[in-house]
Amino acid sequence: MADPKMRFLVVDDFSTMRRIVKNLLKELGYGNVDEAEDGVQALAKLRSEQFDFVVSDWNMPNMDGLTMLQNIRADPALAKLPVLMVTAEAKKENIIAAAQAGANGYVVKPFTAATLDEKLNKIFEKMEKAA
Amino acid sequence: MTEHIADSTSPDEVLSRIGHMTRALHESLRGLGLDKLIEKAASDIPDARDRLDYVVRLSEQSAKRVLDATDAANPLQDGIDERSAELSRSWRALLADAGNGGDAAWRELAERTVASLAESRNAAIATKSHLMDIMMAQDFQDLTGQVISRITGIAQNLEKQLVQVLVDFAPSEIKRELDNGLLNGPQINPEGNSDVVADQGQVDDLLDSLGF
Repeated sequence: MADPKMRFLVVDDFSTMRRIVKNLLKELGYGNVDEAEDGVQALAKLRSEQFDFVVSDWNMPNMDGLTMLQNIRADPALAKLPVLMVTAEAKKENIIAAAQAGANGYVVKPFTAATLDEKLNKIFEKMEKAA
Repeated sequence: MTEHIADSTSPDEVLSRIGHMTRALHESLRGLGLDKLIEKAASDIPDARDRLDYVVRLSEQSAKRVLDATDAANPLQDGIDERSAELSRSWRALLADAGNGGDAAWRELAERTVASLAESRNAAIATKSHLMDIMMAQDFQDLTGQVISRITGIAQNLEKQLVQVLVDFAPSEIKRELDNGLLNGPQINPEGNSDVVADQGQVDDLLDSLGF
């Protein structure tokens, strides 16, 4: 398991889903979680505070998750931040677009706690190998 | 044939013919009562949209209540687990200290208490897993909410197009007729609507005023 003090940002326009992801992360041992309700709010938080991991929805008002991801990758200060997409968008072209934009993982809603755990660990393993 | 028309008709005549065709279409639209149908369809859409918004709002409230309850219940289960573990440790230590000594009835009760505490811990852990399932099941609200907002978008678009058809073809005296039926379902926007009640107090007041 990665550092339990790791700081997560959960981005989703539905408060129910933000709470679910937040609780799941807590259950998996990561209690340090903040929330944002769209890409614009998320980027503002990412640029003003320190985060170690982003879990984001795709379809959101103001700025969607893909655009946010592209912004993160284009910003030298944030470019290396791991981003896990958790979204109902299940078309192959969505998954390909997210991968091309630099997503570290992709979970389709509805998902289980086990799936989230598995994808997080996969990303942590890759990060450790790269480090 | 086409050439013949092109040869013998002036642009004015073409316009006049199109004008006549439009007029005829307009008349048949009214004659068939289509303008009323379109008008009804267009005026029903905002109502359908409000109803869908109501579904979104209510399911969100409901999901929130469930999450509040699971959030409250989780630490209670943690507490049961921790206190049972702690009590169990103390009893075991006491039993170990007593060795083979001590009253037989006391020993038996102590053993049963330790076993029961272990069961409590297992039950607390199982309950936590059920709470997790209940929490995860609330994800429906996000998914159905997304589907509904998409349908709302489609309805809005459709409404715009129908209204445009009306503006282009229908007579000017269009009025939205109020639906005065008795089967309107839950009221989704009681505020600002003087002919519906917003809460039970208003129901009671109305009945009182009628002498019931």
